[in-house]
Amino acid sequence: MTTLDESESATTTDPGRIQDTEWTTGEWWGRWGSWVVTLVNLSMFFAIWEVFARSGAINQLFLPTASGMFEALYHGLTTSAPPGAVISGSIRDHLFYSLSNLSVGLIIACVIGIPAGLLMGGNRYVETVLSPYVWALASLPRIALVPLFILFLGFTVKMQITIIVLSAVFPIVINSWAGVKTTEKSLLAAAKVFGANRRQLYMRVVLPYTLPFIISGIQQGIGRGLIGVIIAEIFGGSYGLGYLVQRSADTFNSSLMYAVLFLLVVVSLTLIQFTRWLEAYVAPWRRIDRL
Amino acid sequence: MAGVGTESRSRTARGPAHAPDAAVISARNVTVGYKLHRERKQLTALRDISLDVRKGEFVVLVGPSGCGKTTFINSVAGLVEPWEGTILVNGRPIDGPGPDRAMVFQDYALMPWRTVESNVRMPFEFQNLGLSREEMDERVRRYIDLVDLTGFEKSYPYELSGGMKQRVGIARALVSEPDILLADEPFAAIDAMTREAMQSELERFVAKTGQTVVFITHSIDEAVILGDRIVVISYRPGQIKEVVDVNLPRPRFDYDVKTLPEYVELRDHIWRLVKDEALQSARGAD
Repeated sequence: MTTLDESESATTTDPGRIQDTEWTTGEWWGRWGSWVVTLVNLSMFFAIWEVFARSGAINQLFLPTASGMFEALYHGLTTSAPPGAVISGSIRDHLFYSLSNLSVGLIIACVIGIPAGLLMGGNRYVETVLSPYVWALASLPRIALVPLFILFLGFTVKMQITIIVLSAVFPIVINSWAGVKTTEKSLLAAAKVFGANRRQLYMRVVLPYTLPFIISGIQQGIGRGLIGVIIAEIFGGSYGLGYLVQRSADTFNSSLMYAVLFLLVVVSLTLIQFTRWLEAYVAPWRRIDRL
Repeated sequence: MAGVGTESRSRTARGPAHAPDAAVISARNVTVGYKLHRERKQLTALRDISLDVRKGEFVVLVGPSGCGKTTFINSVAGLVEPWEGTILVNGRPIDGPGPDRAMVFQDYALMPWRTVESNVRMPFEFQNLGLSREEMDERVRRYIDLVDLTGFEKSYPYELSGGMKQRVGIARALVSEPDILLADEPFAAIDAMTREAMQSELERFVAKTGQTVVFITHSIDEAVILGDRIVVISYRPGQIKEVVDVNLPRPRFDYDVKTLPEYVELRDHIWRLVKDEALQSARGAD
């Protein structure tokens, strides 16, 4: 055979084909430049903030210095309330409380949301029956339900977790549902041609195809769930980061309030980045499509 | 390498005894289409198709886009049921997909979460061919080798070029050693140069394995290069316009048949048959 295409030229490797090269400054900058820019950018942001806050243009009761915020953050994360204290000023205690509620809420949301979404995608009757409720509840601003659940459940952890579940479950349902519905027809046809029965179609084609959709549903669910946590704690709690924001604002402790807000950004970004890695790990073929 | 051919020849998946020259696929007055639910209409894709495909024959269906070629191949695959008429495979009416038929898809249809090896192994997971584990491993290795992808077993489809992806698709279709290989415009999405190479490769593969092939294309060159017989199908509803025998020497790439006057004549003849249809299709007329 005299025919060659790229695959064959790739298999017959010429040992000199791949060689080590030195990076030019431009290439180095192309690879690491954005990190350098981000570092400088953020340092400048906090430096300008510090100078601005110290200038006294805004009352420090509303805008603390950046250093004051970081100090409050450090202090809050390294100390714990003394045993027996009713209300803690420590960020750490409230962080653990909020995160454990969020985890419980997310787990419940997954346990309900994933099967519900898969069933809706797989069965037309389930879809027809459930979809009006899903769309209605998904489009209702969850904050409007808070007074209702306070009435039902009082100022309890149950109330807070209910709100977290309701916030997180719909993106999970809708994404799982969409994953099943958009499973590529040609993959299904291929599996059928090679003898897959109904069960195998679901388990070996639809489910793996839907997995990255489920993960991006969970990713959105985390964002929504975090909102749920904070709303529930601001409106009806005496514990957690939301409560701490409310309380530090009430007591004009602006350093503490900004520290909690900063921490919320870090927590949220970390969780979302984690799900992105997870998605890239289970579905590397979708990595190219993503930002 | 030579073992590939001898084994597949002797294998009969579920076919009854039949004469060696009997038709492997026998379509009689097949009319088939699909429903357009939204418009409350049903569209006849193919009307009154009768066609016999002999064992080991390479039949190419050629026709303009939308003439129902794909619907025909899907009915042979068992994915679509004909409205009227019958299709016999090895003398038996089709009852859904079966291990005696395999298919190569235009968009490859490889599972993106599976490696090359795992994609090729897929037919063994879904249908029991009564092979031992060692036999399956050996077959997977042999067919990956046949399509020159040894060394890429652990790669994922998104890491491969279009040509390589379709080689995986071909290996997956051949691994169960089906009697019939169905190919739905398998090279349409592949760039022109790789495409010519893939045509010659496919000719080489089936020369080794001895499969009966039904191949769809809308490229006249591809049809003449590959086919033993070319079935020209008209535009909506698809009907057989003419069946053209191709008596060019094989392997056609080695003989450089494109330079032969017979090739040019055949090409021209088929172009005349489909020209009006192609124009009609291009205008989108019904």
